[in-house]
Amino acid sequence: MSDKIAVQVDDLTVAYNYKPVLWDIDLEIPEGVLMAIVGPNGAGKSTLIKSILGILKPIAGSVSIYGKSYDKQRSLVAYVPQKGSVDWDFPTTALDVVMMGTYGSLGWIKRPRQKQKKAALEALEKVGMLPFKNRQISQLSGGQQQRIFLARALVQDASIYFMDEPFQGVDATTEIAIINILKELRKAGKTVIVVHHDLQTVPEYFDWVTFLNVKKIATGPVKDIFNDDNLTKTYGINYKVSIQE
Amino acid sequence: MSNAQIEIQLIASLVAIACAIPGTFLVLRKMAMISDAISHSILPGIVVGFFITHDLGSPLLILLATLAGVVTVVLVEYIQKTGLVKEDTAIGLVFPALFSIGVILIKKNADDIHLDVDAVLLGELAYAPFDRLFVSGVDLGPKSLWIVGAILLITIVLLVAFFKELKLSTFDKGLAASLGFSPVIIHYGLMTVSSITTVGAFDAVGAILVVALMIAPAATAYLLTTDLKKMLFLSIAFGIFSAISGYWFAHWLDASIAGSITTMLGVLFLLVYLFAPNKGVIAVLYREKQQRTEVSLLTFLLHLKNHDEERERHVNHLNEHINWQKVRSKTVLELALKNNMIIIDNNIVSLTSKGDEFTTQAIDYIITNEDAQIEDMKDDFFLFRG
Repeated sequence: MSDKIAVQVDDLTVAYNYKPVLWDIDLEIPEGVLMAIVGPNGAGKSTLIKSILGILKPIAGSVSIYGKSYDKQRSLVAYVPQKGSVDWDFPTTALDVVMMGTYGSLGWIKRPRQKQKKAALEALEKVGMLPFKNRQISQLSGGQQQRIFLARALVQDASIYFMDEPFQGVDATTEIAIINILKELRKAGKTVIVVHHDLQTVPEYFDWVTFLNVKKIATGPVKDIFNDDNLTKTYGINYKVSIQE
Repeated sequence: MSNAQIEIQLIASLVAIACAIPGTFLVLRKMAMISDAISHSILPGIVVGFFITHDLGSPLLILLATLAGVVTVVLVEYIQKTGLVKEDTAIGLVFPALFSIGVILIKKNADDIHLDVDAVLLGELAYAPFDRLFVSGVDLGPKSLWIVGAILLITIVLLVAFFKELKLSTFDKGLAASLGFSPVIIHYGLMTVSSITTVGAFDAVGAILVVALMIAPAATAYLLTTDLKKMLFLSIAFGIFSAISGYWFAHWLDASIAGSITTMLGVLFLLVYLFAPNKGVIAVLYREKQQRTEVSLLTFLLHLKNHDEERERHVNHLNEHINWQKVRSKTVLELALKNNMIIIDNNIVSLTSKGDEFTTQAIDYIITNEDAQIEDMKDDFFLFRG
């Protein structure tokens, strides 16, 4: 972790049909952290990520990536949406989905070529999915589909990775494989931001955490702020987690 | 074949191609009903255009009708966004409203204009060769051939240029947005092309059947391939096949060409729906039966492995022990024998070493929650499938 701020969110308010789902969020994410965003269902975790990435338009506030607007810094950012957000019956192969990660650097009209294909194959190799490259995506298991999504983000070769519940519906082996890749990314100086559900694994997987429930409850190093006090504030009930050291 | 016959088939084929291309993306985006809405609500655009130009082939008319199509999409989305009604309801509200305006306009002015509701709904493909394009006295062929040809050319150019963007935004709107390919722009681009195509095809096949040409070839192709490019080519091929075979079917029956083309599309879909190698109904039923038998076989082998006592392994009592009907026990027993998984000695069934190895491996996979591996394993062990 360095002193640089990778992502800065100021006074962000987002609403669906004029009903705010995120209220006045201020957030600074330092470069090089592996951060979990935790909070109950409907807390606005996915909404926060989507607003940072310009997929949703906030009604107030601003976001900057390394000091500039997201539009200017697009190439620095990779995004792994929730697995359930796409139709896996779409007629395409694992390799082709990973290639989609290169589209951003290509821009409009230009097509992927050998160079992009090579990068996609390398990314598939990294997530252990190379043998499945020509498999139609509906023929993959949930864990394999998640790895394909991860490979698609890796191929973007970004500085900041946003992931929306990458561990949902995956088996234990895939979960370990994914977290190892995320830790490698951090080691390489990248910033990784993950919407996460399983509170038990927060101390083991992450070094930074943001508690969110419509408003920001707390943000900071896991060792300082991952405690019963913040959990109770976020989840509303008397929450106790046994933190493994 | 006369010149007119060739021209009709050519127009029908070009219309089919022009429809199949946007149709493929509409099907994948689960927006089939939007094409129905567009095809009906372009009517007021056509009528107003016709009042102004008195020419069904004029660019202004095509422009106005296309605009009506895009307005339909905007209205549907606007109503849907209020959150008061769902998308299908919004579609059901918008297009009859616009269509009825068109119908009233035609009826009010029926005496003045040469445009009737039948032609609008069903098209006049048989008359297409009579309306010809002359440039300084030279006959350049039917006007609709030129209109449809121009629309097809635009569609193909846009498809080739933006194939990557269309694919991405259709598969994953969120990623498209985050990478800077505005899904809104791509969406309205596709809607505009669908509207232009509908207007161009409308003259030939009418408002009702345009929908079939857009949706049926794509739906048929979807059952046959897992590759987007192949799906596009198959849609196009099915479209052309239906156009030409439909023409001859109509010729033979002396019936409506547009109706026959649509019938062909329906027949083609039905055949593929039944007989497609992977997704077809028959293939699925066969696979389910095979699965059922093979799961039974594994259950049976596990039973043998778990029980050493002879009374549990007697051929005649097997069905009682694992609670199966006689026929099923017999099928499973035969399959196990054919694959050398068991031997029967004195009516007592035992596992062979191969059967034992298969069962042991299968148990391992079941315990470690890797059931999918069993499928791959079957390829190594089975001489005959269930």
